[in-house]
Amino acid sequence: MSTSTPDVRATDGVDWPSDWLRATLGFLALRALSGGPSYGYAIISELERHGFGAIKGGTLYPLLTRYEAAGLLTTEWRAGDGGPGRKYFALTEQGRAELTRLSADWRRFVASSVHYLDPERPEKEISP
Amino acid sequence: MMQQTSDKKWFDELVVELRLRQVHGSAIGDTVASARELLRDTGQPAEEAFGPARDYAAALEFPAAPGHDWVRQALWPSLLGLLAFLLFNQAVTAWTQQELLLVSPAQLALLATPVVLVALLPLYLDAVVRRLWVGIAIAAICAVAGVLSAVVAPTQPSDAWLAIDPSPWLIGTALVMVVLSVRNTVRSSRAADDDEIIDPLSGTTAGTGAGARILVHVTNWLFPVLALAMLGLALALR
Repeated sequence: MSTSTPDVRATDGVDWPSDWLRATLGFLALRALSGGPSYGYAIISELERHGFGAIKGGTLYPLLTRYEAAGLLTTEWRAGDGGPGRKYFALTEQGRAELTRLSADWRRFVASSVHYLDPERPEKEISP
Repeated sequence: MMQQTSDKKWFDELVVELRLRQVHGSAIGDTVASARELLRDTGQPAEEAFGPARDYAAALEFPAAPGHDWVRQALWPSLLGLLAFLLFNQAVTAWTQQELLLVSPAQLALLATPVVLVALLPLYLDAVVRRLWVGIAIAAICAVAGVLSAVVAPTQPSDAWLAIDPSPWLIGTALVMVVLSVRNTVRSSRAADDDEIIDPLSGTTAGTGAGARILVHVTNWLFPVLALAMLGLALALR
């Protein structure tokens, strides 16, 4: 599982605009798997712990299913310790490359957005 | 208990929705098992965690088997069985009374009604599965058409459009029904049936209990059994 970053808000009941989550959940889920194979509830907990709110299974699983079909993930059922088994998702090389590409693109997009939204930025830069 | 009941209903709906999308049995088993896994972890009701079963099944975007597969493998044989059964019923009374089989156009049209309704099933299968009254209405139309076909059956050769020897029809349709039942029995007893819902961990299939197996065989032999009953009834009333 990915390591925690201390500057990320660990907030309960975060209610981000659904459009934002729809746009980012894909690579956030890939990031949650970058530390090794994981299962549905652990991925949801990881994302919630890092401030993205409680993602519903009805949102996460279709995404993971599409990624598996696209070759970004593999899945494996593992028997549980005395209980029912779990379905583990793991990044493929293609999935890891996609995560790297999307992360870089997203950082550039965020940098552009932050720069543009900066209230200290001179107004004349906004004019054409 | 309430949650278990509503979850069972949700999972039943999910399986039906995935079936309607022609999703492979192993993918259905995997979907059900992974949904159950998350519900065990979160303690949420299924509807809360995944939304309506129909929407969840659609969101998964599984590749569907070609739509004509089940038509070729299941619908056409069933349709042929139904046609044979209906023709057998027409021939059996004439045969037991050692008379010619008399046929009128109206009778044929009414007999064709259930056959056409079954043939068009792919067009309205979703509605039949999702709304009970649609299935009941279709069954009622078939029953009424069957009764009316008996009412309009000609009683005199002069009223008939066709007057034919019932024996070849009786034997031919009986053979068709038996051959189809044998085929269906062989198909359903094959171990590696693509249609089975397979649990991804145990590799076992759902609904493989003795009761389910008996039900499958009864369904496979439904037309010959009903035809035998009709033959017995016709002989008794002779």
